[in-house]
Amino acid sequence: MNSLTTILPAPLDLGGYRAGTPQRAGALTMVPVHGPVRPGIVPPRSGLKLKRVVGYGQVELANGAREGVAIVPLHLGYIQDAAQNHALCSSALLGAGQTRRFDDACCVQAGQGGYLEGRDQWFFVLPLELRARAMRLRGRHDYAKLWPDISELNRAYGLPSRGHLEQILSRKRAVLTQFQSRLELMPGQLGALFFVGERFAGLELAPDPAYFAEMWMALVCFAYGVAAWQAEPERAVAEPYEAGSLEELRAELARDRAARLAEVASWLPAPGGEVRLVEEERYLDLRLSTLTGDGLAGQVVTEHGRPVYASVFADR
Amino acid sequence: MDTPTLLTHFRTHDVPLELSRGGEPVWDDAELHRNARLSDPEGYALLALVPGALPWQRARVLLETLAASRDGLGEATRAPLTKVTRALMFGLPPAYAITALLALRRLRANHKHTTRAIVTFVLEHPDADALIEARRPALIDCFEHALGKATARACARLVTEEGGGDPARPVAGGDGDRQAGRDAGSAYLRRSLLRFTADPAAAIVRLRALYGPGTYGAPAPQEPPAPLDPVTEQPPIVTSTNRGDIAATLVHLYRGGPAAELRPALAGYVAQATRGLPRLAANVALVLDTSGSMRGYGDREWAVMSQAMALRLVLSEVCERLTVVETGGTAQAPAGSADLAGALLDALGTGPELVVIVTDGYENHLPGDLARVAATLPRAGVTTPVVLCQAAFTRGDDLTLRDPAPELPRRPFWHQDDFAALLPWVFAHVGEGAEWIRTTMLTRLEGGR
Repeated sequence: MNSLTTILPAPLDLGGYRAGTPQRAGALTMVPVHGPVRPGIVPPRSGLKLKRVVGYGQVELANGAREGVAIVPLHLGYIQDAAQNHALCSSALLGAGQTRRFDDACCVQAGQGGYLEGRDQWFFVLPLELRARAMRLRGRHDYAKLWPDISELNRAYGLPSRGHLEQILSRKRAVLTQFQSRLELMPGQLGALFFVGERFAGLELAPDPAYFAEMWMALVCFAYGVAAWQAEPERAVAEPYEAGSLEELRAELARDRAARLAEVASWLPAPGGEVRLVEEERYLDLRLSTLTGDGLAGQVVTEHGRPVYASVFADR
Repeated sequence: MDTPTLLTHFRTHDVPLELSRGGEPVWDDAELHRNARLSDPEGYALLALVPGALPWQRARVLLETLAASRDGLGEATRAPLTKVTRALMFGLPPAYAITALLALRRLRANHKHTTRAIVTFVLEHPDADALIEARRPALIDCFEHALGKATARACARLVTEEGGGDPARPVAGGDGDRQAGRDAGSAYLRRSLLRFTADPAAAIVRLRALYGPGTYGAPAPQEPPAPLDPVTEQPPIVTSTNRGDIAATLVHLYRGGPAAELRPALAGYVAQATRGLPRLAANVALVLDTSGSMRGYGDREWAVMSQAMALRLVLSEVCERLTVVETGGTAQAPAGSADLAGALLDALGTGPELVVIVTDGYENHLPGDLARVAATLPRAGVTTPVVLCQAAFTRGDDLTLRDPAPELPRRPFWHQDDFAALLPWVFAHVGEGAEWIRTTMLTRLEGGR
């Protein structure tokens, strides 16, 4: 399991990226991705700032850096106490010093009043279960547009059927945040493949390791951790290996690991089907495009045809 | 004696020692205690002093040790047993000790050392005056069992007569017969009672109180006068730097504090923590999880790694030979994923007598591998004990998802104070550990630590 070229057929070229050794945490498998670094992109926590909420469904973000383009991560959301939490439906490119208002943002906490303020920059990424729907709702100005889907998600997880994403993200935070320690960010890692159970869940690529490190918690705990938390498998009794010595045991462990790594590789989506890229916006040589097709959805940022950022997830 | 099992039992089996009305005491773990005492009377008794043992378990050890005959035991064993029983009697909450002493009566255990212990408790307990006020009937039961009812009451009569039997009190009057009677009484007291006490004058005062009218509703002391466990720090809010001096200093070093100031201090704190501890004559391998999660983040950054490093530094002082296998990044730069299974195999390859895995419990590199490797070890002919010490941020951490190998003996720790109980538990798994625990606890008995 090395090259990622089979995941996304043309027009997206993932040839420069390599997959590392998978890690597992319950139902969540994460394969670290290494690849070409694109320096100079402003990362989402230390550079990008939530400035304010103008009105429900209207979120203002600012690129506070002196230089560098900020890539707003896809389905970024903010949570604060005593305020209506919001999530964005799409990614975006913001030049240094730019402020931009997103009028198609979703309120994700039905019945909660109050505006987010630019004081607390704790962010999340929408859970996998809501991402495809949020993608389809981009451009629609209706702050309550995601409430039915959030209610359904809550009901499916045995929680009160309300449009409160907070019921999962905040109240289950203790178990969700463990995913960031159950899975480890590897040195130099700038992306990851995620699988929930034996199914491909998403591919996330960042411009550089620092950007990805700032996304790590939001991705493993919330974007993919929520589905994995609900699918946490029963712990199996440890079966001993057939080994009569320490050397044999070491060999058995290596053989077993190789088999399990091959198994993870087999979960990758089979190549085939049409994948469409539609450009949404550009900033100098950077192109932000929406990707759809073959059970996949997401957005990618490319530069001269090479991916700089990608957030592509299973759309089932 | 299965020391690790016994230590775990002492720490977890919190069932009161109950006495049914009139019958012999029945305890669900009597067999475990009896077998342990039979195999090593001194070692068994000393285990009760290991920090963290539950009061009801200590009461059982007190009962078992006092109820058993010491025939056939040499003076080298009897002396520490006497010290341990005294430490337990005064180190337990009084109600627990009294229950154990009452149980001796039900068992009709009346060895010389039993008598001496009960008399010591009733008449020499630091809170004896308050206890006699509050628990008079129970203490009289114990006392009369120790001396025999007739003897105890005769002694009581002698001390409650005016000046009678009190060698410290002057005898007034010139009646030769009365004087002779008192002299005889004093001799009787000395022979029957005072020879068991260290302070005859105080004993007589308390014996008089024991058989006095008493005060209804007097409150009984609840706290042990000489607690067995060291006083531990209980910070109201746990931070990275209030979990013991070693870890705090390490946190500052990790954060880039001045090494010239911090390193000598660190050495001093480690020396202080290990002062007086014997060396473990064993080859120990330490698997140290140095993955990214050990570093932590936010307010907890460095907390877990520093505590794990604190344990490593203490082990390196206490163990004669310590080999460290790191997995993940390095102790100075924790990063990446932990391959605990691979590291365990590497550690076993060094031929240790004991492997200690120190981790936060997150096995990242294909979880379940450690459990499978551990389960295979007996089949692979490896008998080396493997224990897992789990570094946590507080004692309240949820460890449900942090148990990489449920079959391995596991114990969490979060503060340097925990080492006092953790080290005996770890070392109990290796043969040389019994001697280490014995020496350490005897030193504690002597007030060395």
